[in-house]
Order: sequence, then structure tokens, then C-alpha cells
Amino acid sequence: MNDVQTIITLAVFAGVILAIAFNLIDMVLAALLGVSILIVTGSVDQQDILNAVRAGGGALALLFGGMVVARTLKPTGLFENISTRFLLLTRGSGKRFLLGIVALVAPICAFLPNATVVILVAPIVISAAVALETDFVGPVVLTAIISNSAGLLTLVGDPATFIVGSSIGMTFAQYLKRMSLGGLASVLTIIPILPLVMGKVWRVHRDLPADLRAKPIERRGFCALSLMILAVMVMLFLFGEDLPTRIVPPAVAIIVASLALLVIYGFKVEPLERVLQDVDWKTLVFIFCLFCLVEEFTKTGIMKPLARNLFAWFGVSLLPVALVMLAGVALASTFLANIPVVAAVVLLTKGYFVVAELMPEIALGARYTDWPLWSLPVFAGLMFGGTLGGNATLIGASANIVGAGICAAEGRPVSFATFLRYGLPITACQLAVSAVYVLSLSLLLGR
Amino acid sequence: MEAMRGGRIRAWMALVAFAAVVSITLLPLPASAGETLAGVRARKVLRCGVSEGLIGFSFKDPAGQWTGLDADFCRAVAAAVDKQVKVQFVPLFASARFPALEAGEIDLLCRNTTWTLGREAFLGVQFAGVLLYDGQGFMVPRKSKVRRIKDLKGTTICVLKGSTSEPNLADYFGVRGWKYKPLILESVTEARDALVSGGCQAYTSDEIQLASARTHVPDGTRRFVILPDLISKEPLGPVVRRDDEEWFTLVKWVLFALIQAEELGITRENVRALEDTSTDPAMKRFLGKTGGFGKALGVDNDWTVRLVERVGNYGQMFERNLGRDSVLKLDRGLNRLWTQGGLMYAPPFR
Repeated sequence: MNDVQTIITLAVFAGVILAIAFNLIDMVLAALLGVSILIVTGSVDQQDILNAVRAGGGALALLFGGMVVARTLKPTGLFENISTRFLLLTRGSGKRFLLGIVALVAPICAFLPNATVVILVAPIVISAAVALETDFVGPVVLTAIISNSAGLLTLVGDPATFIVGSSIGMTFAQYLKRMSLGGLASVLTIIPILPLVMGKVWRVHRDLPADLRAKPIERRGFCALSLMILAVMVMLFLFGEDLPTRIVPPAVAIIVASLALLVIYGFKVEPLERVLQDVDWKTLVFIFCLFCLVEEFTKTGIMKPLARNLFAWFGVSLLPVALVMLAGVALASTFLANIPVVAAVVLLTKGYFVVAELMPEIALGARYTDWPLWSLPVFAGLMFGGTLGGNATLIGASANIVGAGICAAEGRPVSFATFLRYGLPITACQLAVSAVYVLSLSLLLGR
Repeated sequence: MEAMRGGRIRAWMALVAFAAVVSITLLPLPASAGETLAGVRARKVLRCGVSEGLIGFSFKDPAGQWTGLDADFCRAVAAAVDKQVKVQFVPLFASARFPALEAGEIDLLCRNTTWTLGREAFLGVQFAGVLLYDGQGFMVPRKSKVRRIKDLKGTTICVLKGSTSEPNLADYFGVRGWKYKPLILESVTEARDALVSGGCQAYTSDEIQLASARTHVPDGTRRFVILPDLISKEPLGPVVRRDDEEWFTLVKWVLFALIQAEELGITRENVRALEDTSTDPAMKRFLGKTGGFGKALGVDNDWTVRLVERVGNYGQMFERNLGRDSVLKLDRGLNRLWTQGGLMYAPPFR
């Protein structure tokens, strides 16, 4: 990429973000036009598209699988059934409704892919919100934000967490011991903010009809098979990578989507074409375009001197490096998909340790996992920044875009500004709490 | 009815397109990405990581011109890519070289770097070959009584931090049960100054680095002597990232081309004339008149002509930077051609 292409890429990237932020044009169209301009100017080549596919294909596969499974379950009335039960638990209180979303989504997202969970839970949240006669946009946004934040609860909760943790040889148990508390603090931070950012919903109180009962499940045989497929999906998400033939989560999603379509076809519930038409292709196209734009952004090389710059600015003082990592990666993840950002920064972070001669040069290797505990605060900053930064904006995480897509399908499009109103204050508080956690780690484990 | 059928077709087409995209992600991609060559060509600049200043390897002279064997190799690679490609020299201290290469800050690392198993096994890098055979030696004041390494028992020895010299020294003395005190220093300058001021009784490093360091000291050749014993093999070579086979192959064959040019008697001065007049099939193949090897490497067929025209053949590069035409006046030793008793050997250009 030459200098002119670099400038064009940065300008196009900024233009797309601004067009979406100020609602100047449909966000999918903005992203597609951005990619098209880069193709015309010669910035994007075939290899870039392949790289974007490699980086984003997993997320797209997970979303596609989740969408197909959720759509398969729709004719069974299962979502309405669970929604009514959820509604009964709220006893008509908006406060209990919002707290219920936190309690429902956080534990599931500690283990399952965030955006897939949003696809499955959002219909339940929307039905309950409608029954409570309140706007459902806030609760769906909250679902997305909780799903992202809960990714910090376990090593496998979020791809960004996993990339960083596994790159320094951290096991599931070590993560639980040293990092999960910070993740829990990030999730719990949201609760005291809810009355402020979602006051209207928080204060809602409706008398539920005395005869409110969950509607019976329709097509019980079909529903049972669909639920079995869902169970297979959960089991494969959890244990698929331990099988003799390793099945990664994106592959699980594709397998399960195929099985779901087979069940629909076998039971002749409805034509497959209708199920496929209901997949949110617009969201999938948008996410893919974002991955293409991020690929070009990283190709500009503006992050490359990070390792040497960190050493030049802070020397071997790890606490400021950890805090800069937290803030910088959070800022980048606000506008960029966090997976490629974190994957790029983790290598640069290791580079910092080698440049500073705190670690031997072999520590740059992918197989080197003998990282001392005193290096953890820096990597913790990277994990928290990468995972929580995406909560601030509509385009910060796949789960946010999916949530917005579901709201739009229900007739309530979510603008960039609307999401920002909820996301920004929550993210700011979460990052402040994370900074305290990183500081504590530094004091406890520091050199 | 038509609309319904159109909807069906669109839905299935979307599914097929999606499946194609996703299936690519579930399959391994080939390693040869070819991004580096395309990037160098697009920006017309080769970013080459070199030392911060080491006479004989890469040193910025008072006129602002980079000189040295490593600097010339960077120029040779740039010339092989395209006549218009310039070299941007990126000075790096030792610990920053691999992070800079892996982060993509530089396209090529040519910084008197030793080829070791550990570096290739642990890091995402590959050495393109041996540009210079060196070994770790010791430099001592001529007036001292030290004449062999064993005379250094119980002394203080200066060594560079983070270099392969540090563990080599520990291994060599440790296995013999010899006591010594290492004085570990950050830079070549510090190590040299420590030796001059008597802070240590010897300075150990790659032999050519020692010779280079000696030139910075007034009357250095007379005041300091390099001991005849070597304690390690230090094959120094250019390094590239492991994820780009096309670039690795090109850099590797640039090195072979420099050696082959010397073997064929092709010099900076006669290369253009030979290109027009030679009838020797081997010479014609090498100069790109036949064979089409350049195109296969991703560059023009006259790539060898361009690189020899820019820096000369390997022998010319050595003599200009390290040998009789340089301030170091080093003997070629192992760096002679294989036909002259050395180790420099290029596979056939056919």
C-alpha cells in the first residue's frame, strides 16, 4: 500500500464511520460503498478479501447458524412460551425485567458465542418488553452489552479473551482464578447504571393479567427435535474442540444450521426458501464489509511501531503500559471489530516485552507460553479493552449489530446515536472499574 | 408466482454465496501470501532493518550514505524487485529487530543476525541463507599478556546484552570450569569504551564486529588484538517473515545470485556488456536472456543484471565493505567461493 492508498483508506474508513454515526445513509450501503471505493482505488486486492474472510468468516458462520436455529424454532411458539414465563418472573416490574436480562444472559454468554446468544434471547426480550408496554430497544441493547461483557467471565467467553489468554499459555482454571473476578466486576458495574441509562424501563410497572399463562408449545415433535439440535449446538460449542476431529465453533454453527434446515424439510413445516429469506442477510453483509474495512485499516500500518513506541514512552514501567493498552485497545475496538484488533495488538504487546528486554526474543513465538505473572496486567488491559470497548457503539461488536438488526426487523431501527446513548456511559464505567482491577493486579503481581 | 420464484432463487443464491465464503474460512489458506513483494512494489520502497551503526555491516557515513555488507544486500534486493525501488534503512537496536520484522514494520531484516535453530523454531521468521560466516572471538589490549582464551580465566569480560555472545561465553567458560566476571553492556559503544578504559580485560563478540569496533578507537589496530581462537559458529544472514513464501524465495535467490555472479566472473563493471554479448548458455540463463526465471519469481527477467549493476557481485561487496578495500582489511576466510576453499556456494541457475 503506497502513501496515497493509505490516505484514501483512512479517509474512506473515517467517512464510513461518520456516515453511519450521523445517520446520513443506510449503514450497509455506507459500508458497501466504502469497500467499493477501496476496490476502485486499488487498495483492496484478492488477498485482502481472503484475509477478511479468514478473520470474519468465523463470526459470520456463528451468526448464520444462530439465525437459522432461531428461525427454525419460531413456528413452535417456544420463544413466546419462554417469554411469558420470563414475564411472570418480572411480576410486571421493569426493574426485575432488566435485572432478569442480566441474570439470564451473563451465565450463558460466559460459555456460548455472544452474537448467537443475542439471536436466541432477543425475541424473548422483545416479547416481554411489548407485554410490559415499554420500548424494547434499550433492553435489546442491554442484551448485547451484557453478552459482550460476560465474555470476560471465562477464557472461552469471547474470542478476544481467548486469543490473548491462549497466547500467553493461560488455562481455563488460571483464568477463573486471576481474571474472572474482573469480568464479574465489569458485568456487575452495569447494574447500578441501569436506572440512569434506562430509567424509563427501570421504572415501568404493569399489572399482569391474572390469567397470564405460558402458551403451550405447538408441533411438539418438531419442537423436541429442534431443541435437541440446540442441545447438540451447546454441547459442541463446549466440547467440540476436544473431539478427535476438532470441531471449532463456526463449524458447529454450520453443522447445526444444516441439521435445523433438515428438520424443517423433514417435517414440512414450511418451505426452506422462506426460512432462508428470513436470515438477516443485511447484517451479515454489513459485518463482512466491516471486516474488509478493518483489514485495509490494519494494512495502513499505523499500529506497527506500537512495540517500539511503548518502550520509548514508558520504558519498563508496566502499569502505564497496561493502562494505555486498556484505553487504546478499547478505543480501537469501539470502531473496529475487536477480533482482528486484538490479534494484531497481542503480537505487538509481546514485541514490547522483547524490545524492552523484559523477555527473551523467543517470547515472540506463537508456541512460547512461559509468560511470568508480572506480565499479566498488560495482557489483562488488552483483554478488557478489546472486549469492553465494543460496548460503546453500534458497530463495536457483532452482537450489537445483530441486536440492532433484530430491532429493525421488528419495526424499530436503532441509530448509531441511540446505541451510543446507552453504550457510552456503560462502557466508560466498565473501563474505569477495569482500570482499578488492572491496577490491583499490578500491585499484587508486579515486578 | 414470478415474485415468489424470484425470491426463492435469490434466497438460494445468497445461501450458496454465503456457503462459499464460509467454507473458505474453514479451510487452511496457503502460506505464500506474496504481500511483501506487492507492498514493496506499490510503495517503491524497501524497508530494510539494519544495525544502528556498525562499520562493515551498516553504517551511515558523514555524507548520510549507508555503507556496509548488510546495507548493500538491502540495495541488491531492492534492485531485484525493480529499478525504481529505493531502500529505506531502518536502524534497529538488537532487541527491537524481531518485533519490528514480525510487526511488518520492515520488509527485510539484514542486521548481522545469527542464523540459529531457536530463532527459526520459535519465531515466525526464516533465514534466507548465509551472507557472512563469522564466529565469536575475543579482543584484548595488545600490551596485555593474554594470547589465548585460556589466559582470560578469572578476568572481567565485556559482552553485549541480549546477543548470542552472552550465552556462548557462559557455555564455553562454564563447561571448562573457568571462572570469569561478565560485564554486560547495552551497546557496542559502551562495550568498546569499557575495554578502552580498562573496565574489562577483554571484549567478546562476533569477530568482524570486534574488528569494526577497533576502527573507532584511535590507533586501534596497534593497541588491540583479536585472539586467534573462535568459540562459536556465527552464520549471519538476511531474515524475512515466515508467512510469505514468494518473498522468502526472492530474497534467498538474490543472495545466490550475488554468489553466482562472482563464480561466473560477472561484475558491476561488465554486467551490461555481458548481457548484450555473451553466448555462454549458463551466463545467458543467469542474466535472464533465457529461462524466464525472473517472471517465475515475480520480478522482471533481468533482475540479476539490475542487482549486480547496483552492488556488484558477492566478492566485490565483501572487499568493498570488509576486505582489502575497506578500513577493516579482513581476510575472506570461509567467505571465499567454494571453488577457492570457502563455503560460498549457489545452487544451479537452471
